[in-house]
Amino acid sequence: MKNTFNILATIILVLSLSATVCAEGWDVPASVKKKQNPYELTKRNISSGKKIFQTTCKSCHGDPGKGNMLPLQPPPTDLGSQNFLVQTDGEIFHKIRTGKGAMPTFEKTLSDESKWMVIAYLRSLDKMKREAVVTKAVVNPEVTDVKIDIDVDSEHKKLIAELTGLKKDGKRVGLEGIELSFLVKRAFGQLDISGEEAYTNEKGQLIVQFPTDLPGDREGQANLLVKITDEDNYGPIEEKRVVSIAVPTNPKNILSERAMWGTRANAPIWIIATYVLGVIGIWGVIFLILFQLFQLSKMRVKSK
Amino acid sequence: MNDNTKPKETTLSFEKIKQDVLRPMQTHRGLELWIVFLIAVIAVCGWAYYVQLRDGLGVTGMRDYVSWGLYIANFVFFVAVSLVGMLISSILGLLKVDWIAPISRIAEIIAVAFVAVAGLVIVLDMGRPDRLLNVFIHGRFQSPILWDVTVVTTYLVISLLLLILPMIPDLAICKKEMTNASPLLKKVYSILSFGYTNTPQQHKHLHRMVRTLMVLIVPVGLAIHTVTSWLFAATLRNGWDTTIFGPYFVAGAFVAGAAGLVIAMYFFRVNYKLQDYLTDLHFDKMGKLMVAVCLVYIYFNVNEFLVPGYKMKSGDNTHLKELFLGSWAIMFWASQLLGNIIPVILMVNKRFRKPLPLMIISLFVLASAWFKRYVIVIPTMLHPHLPIQNVPDNFKHYFPTPIEIAIIVLSFALALLIMTVLAKIFPVVPICEIAEKEGIDYKIED
Repeated sequence: MKNTFNILATIILVLSLSATVCAEGWDVPASVKKKQNPYELTKRNISSGKKIFQTTCKSCHGDPGKGNMLPLQPPPTDLGSQNFLVQTDGEIFHKIRTGKGAMPTFEKTLSDESKWMVIAYLRSLDKMKREAVVTKAVVNPEVTDVKIDIDVDSEHKKLIAELTGLKKDGKRVGLEGIELSFLVKRAFGQLDISGEEAYTNEKGQLIVQFPTDLPGDREGQANLLVKITDEDNYGPIEEKRVVSIAVPTNPKNILSERAMWGTRANAPIWIIATYVLGVIGIWGVIFLILFQLFQLSKMRVKSK
Repeated sequence: MNDNTKPKETTLSFEKIKQDVLRPMQTHRGLELWIVFLIAVIAVCGWAYYVQLRDGLGVTGMRDYVSWGLYIANFVFFVAVSLVGMLISSILGLLKVDWIAPISRIAEIIAVAFVAVAGLVIVLDMGRPDRLLNVFIHGRFQSPILWDVTVVTTYLVISLLLLILPMIPDLAICKKEMTNASPLLKKVYSILSFGYTNTPQQHKHLHRMVRTLMVLIVPVGLAIHTVTSWLFAATLRNGWDTTIFGPYFVAGAFVAGAAGLVIAMYFFRVNYKLQDYLTDLHFDKMGKLMVAVCLVYIYFNVNEFLVPGYKMKSGDNTHLKELFLGSWAIMFWASQLLGNIIPVILMVNKRFRKPLPLMIISLFVLASAWFKRYVIVIPTMLHPHLPIQNVPDNFKHYFPTPIEIAIIVLSFALALLIMTVLAKIFPVVPICEIAEKEGIDYKIED
């Protein structure tokens, strides 16, 4: 009897709790609900939205449509699912901005523009609206053997990248409107020097200004990596190059100075002096005593 | 006390002193049995060391976090006990405290035996002892390790000289009196007596050398234990990162050393029948000395634990709570109570400064001193700044394996063997010095 009562009580408690959770849903004001994304679903906007998504949303929600979200309770919504995408732009915008429960607020951490870019990206996954995207993007011909060529203008410190692909008829053409990332290897990680609008022009070319104050090694060399930002376009395509247009610097090796953390050869003078003088002083006296000790027997001879 | 010493002055003659001191060296049967026993222990435990040498330090309980275990705790203990040589024969000797005359040689024997084994314990802790020379070849002046190796060696040499030099007159007597000794031993006496015949010139010359050494050993003795403490204090770890570690170790060393000396005095008094020389008075004085050094050590303990315990900085709090109330509490409080506080309370009472009670108290003090070193070394290793995560379970705890314990037993047996052999071939009580103190004239013939 007691068990039955306990089970009943538990069920009632769970039900009442879940009821409150459900009733507590998102409270989106009607005016916000009506808002439309002011940015068009161009390939460029979608691409920048995807970048933000991957650094900001993916860690919990996982990849859209893949169901690899974090195993939280309640589970984070799959943002690529049609159930989610039936909402208006305004509703999604509101949810990103305010947050609820485990979903944090992005009111301050993401600009409004960034939020709309994310929505643009999510909308591009929307089966109902996908056609709109395709019509607005630049259409490149079907190509194979896509590659990046880098040309360096040392005088003006400019980097010219050319993205080309082989058409079916064997002609190599430039690919337009593809975002490229220009990365320079630093001590920790890579520095993105691509700038704001790093998209190839109609010839497939993109010119990027190399920062004039970026330090390189002694010869002014730096490791450059150019790659297609969004791998979904043509797969992981990248080109590496050592460029000699950075500012030559002579990095200071802290192990080359005399210091407590240095090698033995670079020990501070005072500590070497203390050690050596201490050892010489103490052992000098010891040897003096030993010398005197052997004089002890000589004294016997003298005294006799 | 005065009742005891007065009749002694009338009965003691140079011949009697000579006989009393030299007789047990020649005729003591138990001594040889004891040496055989120690060698047997060393042989058995030597096998444990062979296993460690063959299979590596994996046979110990030490892992990535606790890389300093029983061996280093034991090393600190041995260095501590050895400091008694400096305390008794040097500091009190320079202050012209005259009751130390009969016990100063025992103190030096302890110093030599324990500091020699202390150096060896470090070698026992090395997985690759064949690389020992690298400490000297590649040692960094900035590292306390190089300094430690240097001062341990120096302290051993000076202690050895302070053992032998004041003994030269006695060795000259041994050369003549010990007719039954083996030819090898006779040779040792002959060489080490340096042709001493107690001429005024030799007497003066010898005393000047001994005084120089007594001054010299004070900075070296302070350095040996201060540098040992720097092995710990030079790191940024909770429980070790403290400015008073040097004097704290020195004070603790005086406690451990004095206790060790009392135990040795008691055994020589009973086994060598030296009641006329190691008198109740000496135990009484040693008891008072122990009260003094224990009080200094308690003072340092209060500083060492009350100040960080009041602030409870993050990091220190985990460490201190574990010591005060956690898994180390029993060992910590037992070493403080049985090794410091209760002995002081007992020893201020005259009855407990009699030889037997004082020896029993000293056993507790010495054992507590050993466990105190254990509590200094291991808990800090188990409380790193970053939490211990994602490691095999045996990284998170430390308990010495039987191999480690056997090797520690080996180190103790070795120290006792060195002491026994020294006491077998050298007079443990200075014959000539006592004669001088008693105002008895004596001659040494060549």
